[in-house]
Amino acid sequence: MGKNEREIRVDEMGLAFAKTMMIFTVIGIVLMVLPAIAYFMGINQYVPLTEAHKYWRLSANDFWLNVTGRTVTGYSWIFDHLDKTDCLSMIGVLLLMITPLLSMLAAVVKAEDRTYRVLLLIAALEFIASILVKSLVAAASGAKKVVKK
Amino acid sequence: MDWLMWVLALFFMTLGIGIVAPIAGVGGGVLFTPLTMAFYPFSTDFIRGAGLVMAMTSALSSAPHFAKKGLANLRILAPVVIVSIIFSILGGIIGLWVTNAFPQGKSYIKIGLGLILFVVFLVYLFSKRVEFPQIAHIDPISEKLDIHGMWYEPSLNKVVEYRTTNLLYALPAFAGVGFIAGMFGLGAGWANVPVLNLVMGAPLKVATSTSMMIITINDAAACWVYMARGAMLALIIVPSVLGITIGARIGARIAVKSRPKSIKYLVMAIMLFAAIMDIWKGLHGLGLAPPI
Repeated sequence: MGKNEREIRVDEMGLAFAKTMMIFTVIGIVLMVLPAIAYFMGINQYVPLTEAHKYWRLSANDFWLNVTGRTVTGYSWIFDHLDKTDCLSMIGVLLLMITPLLSMLAAVVKAEDRTYRVLLLIAALEFIASILVKSLVAAASGAKKVVKK
Repeated sequence: MDWLMWVLALFFMTLGIGIVAPIAGVGGGVLFTPLTMAFYPFSTDFIRGAGLVMAMTSALSSAPHFAKKGLANLRILAPVVIVSIIFSILGGIIGLWVTNAFPQGKSYIKIGLGLILFVVFLVYLFSKRVEFPQIAHIDPISEKLDIHGMWYEPSLNKVVEYRTTNLLYALPAFAGVGFIAGMFGLGAGWANVPVLNLVMGAPLKVATSTSMMIITINDAAACWVYMARGAMLALIIVPSVLGITIGARIGARIAVKSRPKSIKYLVMAIMLFAAIMDIWKGLHGLGLAPPI
């Protein structure tokens, strides 16, 4: 008799990766959708729906210049306005964006093979570097201000 | 309430994409970004941001399931993503730079996306996929990394064991795929699967499942660039993600029962139409074509 589904062996690192991804994806989607419902109901908006509609044709830079009077460079537009439902919804998106990193780190911990521990760690570090580089660039360049229309 | 009309239109479009994509065997992102660019008033920045979040979320929802079954393989993914993460970030940075630094940047992006979509169309039209590729020789790096896996295949009622090869040839391809995914906000399963299946010799089911896992990482890495530039709006992202998620569940159930060829041809026709529309709108933006 051949092996069946119960007899296949999946790497511990693969299982740790999958389990972590499953948990944080569910949390991320819930955190994204619940505040968005409040946003669509008009509760405590950072970017009012009518303003978004007025400028959503413009590039991201021009959109924020027109809506808030400054361009966005970094993540402070979210973290400085966590009392606003649209920004709070972005926390869910951020969690989804960080979920692959958390999954890779969980796999690093469980990896039995040293080569894969190193490879996954490099990938995780690249991922972290991508976040830091953008934040550093944002901090160095600063936000451009214009008079709000 | 004009915004509501567009948001509802977005939701129903992504619901439709979610239903037909699994039946046609394509990813949702490859239809979402070009169609939204062609028919919706949103800036290409917000569309690409939403396209990445949408492709990432649907991959995040399905990849763990495949990983537990042994289909999505971390041994294949690990060396590949080291290269593709860097290029997906570069693609995201250059894509946003083009739209913001040039007055007609949006038009260049639309033309570029239209051309990419033509390539995708040709890939779907001509590429042959092999269910269980035969590998004659395993390259030294794949051998050293001991890339292997197994899964239970119900259609054969047995466990299939496999190995992969040609890692060095596959890495430049994944660099290109990562760059395009970041630049245009595409999921890029259309390119991952042929490379994994035809170049590396991964069985088709392993290739599609591992591609999902690669998309989660590549797209998440590219998303940070869009988020840091404010190219993400809840107004566009949430209806898109909800539409595709609900649609994909319906589509997956239909796909298990039947996969009519007509749906595949319909999706390919939509893809071709969206490619023509994107190129036309891009050329119009440059003053080289009349309005549609």
